[in-house]
Amino acid sequence: MNLLKLWQRRSAPVARERLQLLLAHERSARNQPDLLGVLREEILDVIRRHVAFEPDKVQIKMDRGRSVSTLEFEIEIPNGIRISMARAS
Amino acid sequence: MSSLVCQRQSLRFRARSYMAFAITPRAPVVDWLADLDANLERSKGFFAGHPAVLDLSGVNLRAPAIAHLVAALEERNIRVLGIEGVDPATAEPGLPPVLRGGRGTPGLEAGERATAAVTGRLAPQRQSLASLLIEDPVRSGQSIVFTEGDVTVLGSVGSGAEIVAGGSIHVYGTLRGRAMAGVNGNARARIFCHRVEAELLAIDSYYKTADDIEDSLRRGPAQAWLEGSTLKISAMQ
Amino acid sequence: MAHVLVVTSGKGGVGKTTSTAALGAALAHDGDRVVVVDFDVGLRNLDLVLGAERRVVFDVISVINGVAKLSQALIRDKRLENLFLLPASQTRDKDALTEEGVAAVIAELRDRFDWIICDSPAGIERGATLAMRHADSAIIVTNPEVSSVRDSDRIIGLLDSKTVKAERGERVDKHLLITRYHPARAARGEMLSIDDVLEILLTPLLGIIPESEEVLRASNVGSPVTLNNPLSAPARAYFDAARRLRGEEIAMHVPNESKGLFGKLFGRKAA
Repeated sequence: MNLLKLWQRRSAPVARERLQLLLAHERSARNQPDLLGVLREEILDVIRRHVAFEPDKVQIKMDRGRSVSTLEFEIEIPNGIRISMARAS
Repeated sequence: MSSLVCQRQSLRFRARSYMAFAITPRAPVVDWLADLDANLERSKGFFAGHPAVLDLSGVNLRAPAIAHLVAALEERNIRVLGIEGVDPATAEPGLPPVLRGGRGTPGLEAGERATAAVTGRLAPQRQSLASLLIEDPVRSGQSIVFTEGDVTVLGSVGSGAEIVAGGSIHVYGTLRGRAMAGVNGNARARIFCHRVEAELLAIDSYYKTADDIEDSLRRGPAQAWLEGSTLKISAMQ
Repeated sequence: MAHVLVVTSGKGGVGKTTSTAALGAALAHDGDRVVVVDFDVGLRNLDLVLGAERRVVFDVISVINGVAKLSQALIRDKRLENLFLLPASQTRDKDALTEEGVAAVIAELRDRFDWIICDSPAGIERGATLAMRHADSAIIVTNPEVSSVRDSDRIIGLLDSKTVKAERGERVDKHLLITRYHPARAARGEMLSIDDVLEILLTPLLGIIPESEEVLRASNVGSPVTLNNPLSAPARAYFDAARRLRGEEIAMHVPNESKGLFGKLFGRKAA
């Protein structure tokens, strides 16, 4: 029904925004290959210096935004204490 | 001396073409023979009854070595009817004749058996009559090669698929691909189908492409046969 | 009991990724645990169609190479908690996908999901054959158009020779999904009819998805059409197809022009 179309945002501008964002990230990733991988290893190294944990108990989530991207690490440390770190760049 | 004057009949020479396997040894010949033996293990009757031509362009053998090779092949039941790819001066009385002007033919590669090309479920029927039965439609890109006899397909043959048979071809479905019957020189082979929408029909190297097949024949049962050097197609009732 | 499904076509651009996302969402919506796996290495699309492109960290290759565990690579859909995505790598190429690697990943996925839907790339090369290798069933996506139909026929042939099931002498169950069906063109005789396609491909029909702007709209906003607009014609057709996958008998609806009315209902099956 047409009622839906009235309040639904036109989809092409949404698509355009998503693409601009995505391609900007993909292009910069091409210039700095595997920035995420480097970041991950360095951050895990830092944590390892203070606390021991198992590599598969690490969950990494990412959300690439327009001006801010969020990289979220969730690491399960023995004795059940969970340390959650969020780092904005 | 007899005073009778014998009426001689003029000798008539006719040309015949046969399809033969071309065997191409590679150096070192000993290794190549070992490979051949391995292949023969897998497909025991593969060369049985088929004449073979020895293509020596890939090796550098003198007459004694060639004779030795021909003998080795005879031991393996491979009859060499001619050799090619050598300097005619190498030819010697004991060796098979040197041939020239051989043309390649598609569809006869050692190891690629018709049954393996379709599905694993098909049980080879090589012990019984020389006839291959295919119970599934033949899909685009598949190639069924059975030079020993007839091929029957219980289903359609897709556009881009091909059936190559030494005998006749029977398609209980729509023939949309290519059908080549009588490839061993069997001019009496025929092609039958429930519906002809074929890309190409051939019997013993005489062929017609889709363009040459009359529109009126399409969409109904048809058969193709050879009359002299003309491929004829007619509707069947 | 996990079921591995490959969505394939041979021809590109006919709706494999759209269908993978739509069917995956429909099955997850109805309660099953679903993972959709993108096999198009180097040209990944499934993440985009699902709106997860901003969250991709690891991919199939990372898992195969041991860089990441499967649980770290899986991306959960934000709208449907039963729907997960295993993305393809964008920077590697298809040679990085190994047979053993894929076999191991599929085996691990079988433990965790009810449905593993493999989105195949176009073509008949390695990516496509790897995507179908471990399939229990296949959905062959076909447009009612000559090249698409021929390519689908080719792919059906490959399903009967290049899969583990075929090598064992068993059959991959095949389903035909006709997409981009345009009722007006079909009525005018300018588009191959459903019967034409069925007669050539001889494969049971899973569903008929009408050409619709809704599909484009859904892809633009990054949501499978079955989630974005579940009442639209394509979405309803996808939901019916998902139910048929589960074994339900649903009469086949042939899309027609009249909006809002259900078209003629047939029980339609290919021989």
